[in-house]
Amino acid sequence: MASDGARKQFWKRSNTKVPGSIQHVYGAQHPPFDPLLHGTLLKATPKVPTTPVKARRTSTFQEFESNTSDAWDASEDDDELLAMAAESLNTEVVMETANRVLRNHSQRQERRRPPEPPAVPSGDLRLVKSVSESHTSCPAESASDTAPLQRSQSLPHSVTVALGGTSDPSTLSSSALSEREASRLDKFKQLLAGPNTDLEELRKLSWSGIPKSVRPITWKLLSGYLPANVERRPATLQRKQKEYFAFIEHYYDSRHDDAHQDTYRQIHIDIPRMSPEALILQPKVTEIFERILFIWAIRHPASGYVQGINDLVTPFFVVFMCEHIEEEDVDAADVSRVPADVLRNVEADTYWCMSRLLDGIQDNYTFAQPGIQMKVKMLEELVSRIDEQVHRHLERHEVRYLQFAFRWMNNLLMREVPLHCTIRLWDTYQSEPEGFSHFHLYVCAAFLGRWRKEILEERDFQEDASVSMEDSLSDGAQELRASSKRTSWRKAFQARPLCAEC
Amino acid sequence: MGNRTEEDYNFVFKVVLIGESGVGKTNLLSRFTRNEFSHDSRTTIGVEFSTRTVMLGTAAIKAQIWDTAGLERYRAITSAYYRGAVGALLVFDLTKHQTYAVVERWLKELYDHAEATIVVMLVGNKSDLSQAREVPTEEARMFAENNGLLFLETSALDSTNVELAFETVLKEIFAKVSKQTQNSTRTNAITLGGAQAGQEPGPGEKRACCISL
Repeated sequence: MASDGARKQFWKRSNTKVPGSIQHVYGAQHPPFDPLLHGTLLKATPKVPTTPVKARRTSTFQEFESNTSDAWDASEDDDELLAMAAESLNTEVVMETANRVLRNHSQRQERRRPPEPPAVPSGDLRLVKSVSESHTSCPAESASDTAPLQRSQSLPHSVTVALGGTSDPSTLSSSALSEREASRLDKFKQLLAGPNTDLEELRKLSWSGIPKSVRPITWKLLSGYLPANVERRPATLQRKQKEYFAFIEHYYDSRHDDAHQDTYRQIHIDIPRMSPEALILQPKVTEIFERILFIWAIRHPASGYVQGINDLVTPFFVVFMCEHIEEEDVDAADVSRVPADVLRNVEADTYWCMSRLLDGIQDNYTFAQPGIQMKVKMLEELVSRIDEQVHRHLERHEVRYLQFAFRWMNNLLMREVPLHCTIRLWDTYQSEPEGFSHFHLYVCAAFLGRWRKEILEERDFQEDASVSMEDSLSDGAQELRASSKRTSWRKAFQARPLCAEC
Repeated sequence: MGNRTEEDYNFVFKVVLIGESGVGKTNLLSRFTRNEFSHDSRTTIGVEFSTRTVMLGTAAIKAQIWDTAGLERYRAITSAYYRGAVGALLVFDLTKHQTYAVVERWLKELYDHAEATIVVMLVGNKSDLSQAREVPTEEARMFAENNGLLFLETSALDSTNVELAFETVLKEIFAKVSKQTQNSTRTNAITLGGAQAGQEPGPGEKRACCISL
């Protein structure tokens, strides 16, 4: 915890990269992941960015604080916790450990490393950083609030319970809430009304949640899928949709070929085994998911299809679908009644937005999953500094972070929280520059922190977690709602994932 | 195991469940530990575990069963969990020949990371789907025999042989451990992750005592 200058905080908003951080592998554009190469990369670079980072160090956190302080309506400062949060992480330690893990793995895996398919040049995958206006109204969206959570667990029951972290609207004064909601919606509408939307503003506004009616358009803008200028949008959408269906025409028939049948088979058997949402089991939706995943997989051979990626389709599909269905509960919607051309557009939009998300985290899914290993290592480092007690407790009971946090990273907590919470969380992730990678780390730390009491009480991590998940889910969600205002250190990390919005 | 009944064993046996994606590993585990089966159980991400304590004679054996994801990409993560395992159930789907055809690869993977003395059972799951069978029982049994593996066909759906499969593996491990403790001093033969065989766990705080054969 010493404050020597070599330390650098990896605050989300500091745009500087973590020294020696692994570069994202942009599947089709990048040579296949080579652990050895990465090893050298890690070793070669750590010193370089240290100086600029040092210079920015103090300003970064304050800047971050002031930029986001309005996101915390029920502001309650806790100097001690904030100070704790301001403690910088020793990235050298983080990187060294991450390096070691990677090295071990590469040594272990080298012998039987499968040959990666050759990289294929891909289309335009860069983020469009500008935004523009739009008027969209859509029916209220509601992802099933009662979605059952995971039925299996990698940590004892008390830990993997849901983060129902939304403060329950019913517990707040409803008039105050609707007033606030309305004013937020107005702000969004104003922002979206110009010929060019200010993306920075939209990000700031979206950070604390996007109103349901403007969520589809906002997500498309934030992900960089839709261009800034409103006049360019129809043409862009048309071009991207055409491009996607050209992929299908070109590649989809190859799903039964020798080269791709394993990929297709895996996708095919995984879709019924993913989220509990019934929507996905409707034949039309299953087909859409299969196409999206198959096309993405063969266009990104460095990672290909990996379980977990399938879950990432759902939020986009559900959010975009909500524009076109009457039902409050998306699970109750009959997709076969949606016009075919509408469904096609939703499919293409979902594909492109999911692709952009994955561009930022593809190293989670490349060989040996270096992105996940790195983040789990960083989570461990983070927790060891902000909550030594929990860290020691886990250590003492021989619970390894990879054991429970692997899935948190691999599926972006989608197995741990209900879909409507994920959707709300993604409002924030998409308004952060590296929301799905870097910011997610802090959310995981907050998630762990949320269950610290239960973790500390748990003496036997060897025990079976056979307690009903449903029960603990509802208890957990209730309790979390009640305590969402109290959880100060989550605030300290700006990782309060959910608010009254959803 | 009969002649050591005077000993109060309190062991944790680490057992891994391995095999191709979709063969039913997770359901075998939930059938054994919770007597549950789910038609739409979700894909296992990385590794998950469950435990169940069984009595073998007078010894209480806690089976700590690690359920691994079958997907190739997770192999780097999951194979790390083979270390220290004393038993393994290598599961294939007897209605899908492809899941049986790769059993040899799984076996090699296992022996690369686990102790050579690990007790392995080959398990043909989904025996309730007899009309769709693609792997003849005799073929799998021969393979198991030639490779020194135990063999059973199970159905996690209708419970057939699930209990028997796990218990056979645990008994086999237990027999090996008992034999080992007879042949040498216990301290040398068994590593117990800090504690030693026969040692009473501290009150209130049970230690995990993993056996390494």
